[in-house]
Amino acid sequence: MPANDPPKQELLKGTLDMLVLRTLSIQPLHGYGIAQQIEASSEDALRIEQGSLFPALERLQKRGWITAKWGQSPTGRRARYYTITAAGRRQLGNEISSFDAMIVAINRVLRRA
Amino acid sequence: MSLLDSIRYRLRVFTRSREHEADLAEDMEFFMSSEARMTEHAAKGAVSAPEAKRSARRRFGNATYYGEEARAIAGLQLFDVLAQDARFALRTFARTPVFTAVAVATLAIGIGANTAIFSAVDTLLLRPLPFRDPERLMSVALTVPATANGPANDDIIWSLPKLQVLRASQHGFASLTAWFPTQYTIRAGDEAQRVTGEFIDAEYFPTLGVVPALGRAMRKSEDYEGGPPVAVISDELWKVMFNADPAVLGKPLNVDGVVFTIVGVAPEGFNGVSGNVKFWIPPMSGPPAWDVSAFRDPRNHSFFVMGRLAPGVTPEQAAAMVRDIGLRIDAQYPENGPVARRWGATAHRLDATRVPPGLRRSMLLLLSAVGMVLLVACANVASLFLVRAASRRREIAVRLAIGASRARLVRQLIVESVVLALVGAVASLFVAWVGVRAISAAQPTVLAGNISNSGIGTVAVDAIRLDLVALAFTAGIAIVTGVLFGLVPAIQTTRPSLTESLKADPSASQRAAILRRVSTRDVLTTLEIALAVVLLAGSGVLIRSLLHIAAVRPGFEAAGVLTMRVNRAPAWSRDSITRFYDVAIDRLSEVPGVTNVAIADCSPQSGGCSGGEIQLLDHEAPKVRARTHWITPQWADVMKVPLMRGRMLESSDRRGAPFVVVVNETAARNYWPGENPIGKRLVPLNADTAVVVGVVGDVRYGSLQAPPVEGIYMSYYQQPLSFRMMLHLRTASGDPAAITESVRRALREVAPGFPMYDVATLDARISGSLAEARFMTQLLTVFAVLAIVLATIGTYGVISYAVAQRTREMGIRIALGATSADVIRLVVGQGAALAAVGGLLGLIGAAPATRLMRAQLYGVEPSDPVTLGGIVIVLTIAALVACWVPARRAANVPAVQALRGQ
Repeated sequence: MPANDPPKQELLKGTLDMLVLRTLSIQPLHGYGIAQQIEASSEDALRIEQGSLFPALERLQKRGWITAKWGQSPTGRRARYYTITAAGRRQLGNEISSFDAMIVAINRVLRRA
Repeated sequence: MSLLDSIRYRLRVFTRSREHEADLAEDMEFFMSSEARMTEHAAKGAVSAPEAKRSARRRFGNATYYGEEARAIAGLQLFDVLAQDARFALRTFARTPVFTAVAVATLAIGIGANTAIFSAVDTLLLRPLPFRDPERLMSVALTVPATANGPANDDIIWSLPKLQVLRASQHGFASLTAWFPTQYTIRAGDEAQRVTGEFIDAEYFPTLGVVPALGRAMRKSEDYEGGPPVAVISDELWKVMFNADPAVLGKPLNVDGVVFTIVGVAPEGFNGVSGNVKFWIPPMSGPPAWDVSAFRDPRNHSFFVMGRLAPGVTPEQAAAMVRDIGLRIDAQYPENGPVARRWGATAHRLDATRVPPGLRRSMLLLLSAVGMVLLVACANVASLFLVRAASRRREIAVRLAIGASRARLVRQLIVESVVLALVGAVASLFVAWVGVRAISAAQPTVLAGNISNSGIGTVAVDAIRLDLVALAFTAGIAIVTGVLFGLVPAIQTTRPSLTESLKADPSASQRAAILRRVSTRDVLTTLEIALAVVLLAGSGVLIRSLLHIAAVRPGFEAAGVLTMRVNRAPAWSRDSITRFYDVAIDRLSEVPGVTNVAIADCSPQSGGCSGGEIQLLDHEAPKVRARTHWITPQWADVMKVPLMRGRMLESSDRRGAPFVVVVNETAARNYWPGENPIGKRLVPLNADTAVVVGVVGDVRYGSLQAPPVEGIYMSYYQQPLSFRMMLHLRTASGDPAAITESVRRALREVAPGFPMYDVATLDARISGSLAEARFMTQLLTVFAVLAIVLATIGTYGVISYAVAQRTREMGIRIALGATSADVIRLVVGQGAALAAVGGLLGLIGAAPATRLMRAQLYGVEPSDPVTLGGIVIVLTIAALVACWVPARRAANVPAVQALRGQ
């Protein structure tokens, strides 16, 4: 790992699913694309343990929030593309609002102290 | 749809687990190689490829861990465990080949026999009839009550005038159709074929909901006396005789010399209500040669009738309506004479009349019998598993002790039994396949030509196939039995506390546990024996009944006689018919091997005999019923029917000579008891007065079980009959069927274009009439033998397990001075107790079971003492066989070894 990497934030527990859904809500992506996208859109502030993406992807499929299909990556290789389902979008909405509510609550506690 | 996607995902993991796993691995591999390429690219050559790969792997984290985690979430781990368990199970089975072979064979036979019988039941009783909404179709029949002159009959066909009464006054059926199947000779080119055709009316196709695939059905406007001769042909006939010619419409079809115009082709697979029908024609359109006017006679009962219920009408309402109309029909067309009966009408759901009641009863009986075999097989395998589980107590205890969870052990034991059940199920498919072939090949003649059954011939024994329903049924039984076998021993063996089982030797504190399990096995074995005894009782009385039937003397000598019918031209006059048969008899007498030829209107066990009211002269009860037979004088010689008194009909008894008849013994005895029948006068049919000149022995024309009825024989030459006749050929030696071809050639010389049909030896006709009873008896006997063999194996397992448990005890007994005989007595006593209790329970259960079979029995009581005695003997032998080996083993225990322990 190059030494000049900026310090990165570990991901909050339980938020990976939400981030994956949010990323896929813009466009279908393969696994590596999802990881890249999450790091890029956080302006490299968030760091995910890349491997943990795979259990998350299986979990989301099992719940019917995303589906997987083999396609072709821009480099011409076979890659598995994940697409968010309508149910996944609804779930994303729920998760964002409950996450917002939690942030507000946490902030309230922190300010008062 | 989240639920649908979720289900799709789970289904994919479950059904294509290997593919899903490969996808996951490839996806992860793609991820890491993309990351490596990106790193390499970003460093612009400063980083080597292997270095980039290592870095990518580092960033990814623990790939094995995440992979496993993903697999666990997907549910793939379950497969690992199951595969492990299955492999372990197969290894375990390989170590105990005898146990495995016995268990698999037991399951294969139990499940296979059930699948075969279920296939038959499904085809014959369950599968919907091949018509539209078959549950709305009802069979409608005329009825007569039982009288001194004959039994009740509630399945009598209709005459057109009586049907007219029904049609005019009914309101419960949307449509009613009348039909009747008959054998015809059809011609196209020089080819002549003897096939079944159905007389139908215009309502036939609409009632059944069948639409011709090509052309059209009959029109209402064509359905009248003297209407146009039109025909619909079957898909099969279209393909075979007309080469599937799409331009077949409008072509002629020659039926018994009458030309019909083809207007339609039935859809593929539709073979008429009577089954195997090749064409359909309206009866009323037939040209005068067919004597359509006969249909105006209200006593000319010629048609089956079925109706489709009108919307909103229940079958019960329709049946009640038909019963009311029956009274009206009887009022309009009453039967006359001193023994007149009141006629009625009835309606049943078509589905309820699809097979003869006797066959339905037989099938249900077989189904329950084979169900008992499966129960015995299950009990047997369960008891085998219990015995085996007991011998694995130490292994299980060790595994529990070193930390295996109880759930994991139970799952493994269940997997073992399911694997065994599946292997058994696969093996059972073979058994089922053989069984189904045997059943479907079993004398299709049993049902062929049986049209006394509301005219339904679409379900037939030879249509039985091993079908998907039966396959699913097999799989279901296999899984359920597997889980059951696995569950009981699994729970039992994982229950005992660790310390007790770890001890090498069963101690006193454990005895209670052993007793508890031994009693489970004892119950299973007793149940097996009891079920086997029920089956033995059932098959026993059937065998005895069959022996009685086979011992019945039919009144003629069947061996060496070949019989056949010959088609004749419909328009022949009475004189030309007799001339035709004269020529045919002369020619056939010259065929090598034929010693004598006779003709008669009907033959034993082939149906088609005539019967009716005759009038006795100079008698106080002049109207009696009798079978009337037309024969040539050689008939008694050909059939070897004895002449009891007077003389036989002779060739001089021709037209113009005094009308004479011969009666059978039953007629002589019942009409003129204690008098000499020779010289008595009677009026058969509406013919002239005849004088009795002789008495011949009784012949059983119907089933062998039915006692002979009064019969009167007339000379064919004196009273020529415009009816198909049966040729009887007595042959010199060997198999009479061997001369069939030379007979066919000889007939072709004298009557080209008139094929012979219904060719069979008299022996074959008789054994055909016994086929159903024999088939039933054979199957039930096979089941009973299987059950008793399985019960013997089960008893053997229990006894030998008990002996193994009591080795020390036996050793001590021998050491203290017990003789071998004492020990053998001890062991055999245990087996005898099982057999006695099981046998007693079985006999108690057999009593109601055999009573249910009363209708199938002939000459034997349900509680037949011979059968019961036989069961006791068989059971004693089985118990001795089961106990012998363990008893010898116990008696030969060396005292020292037994005392030293295992």
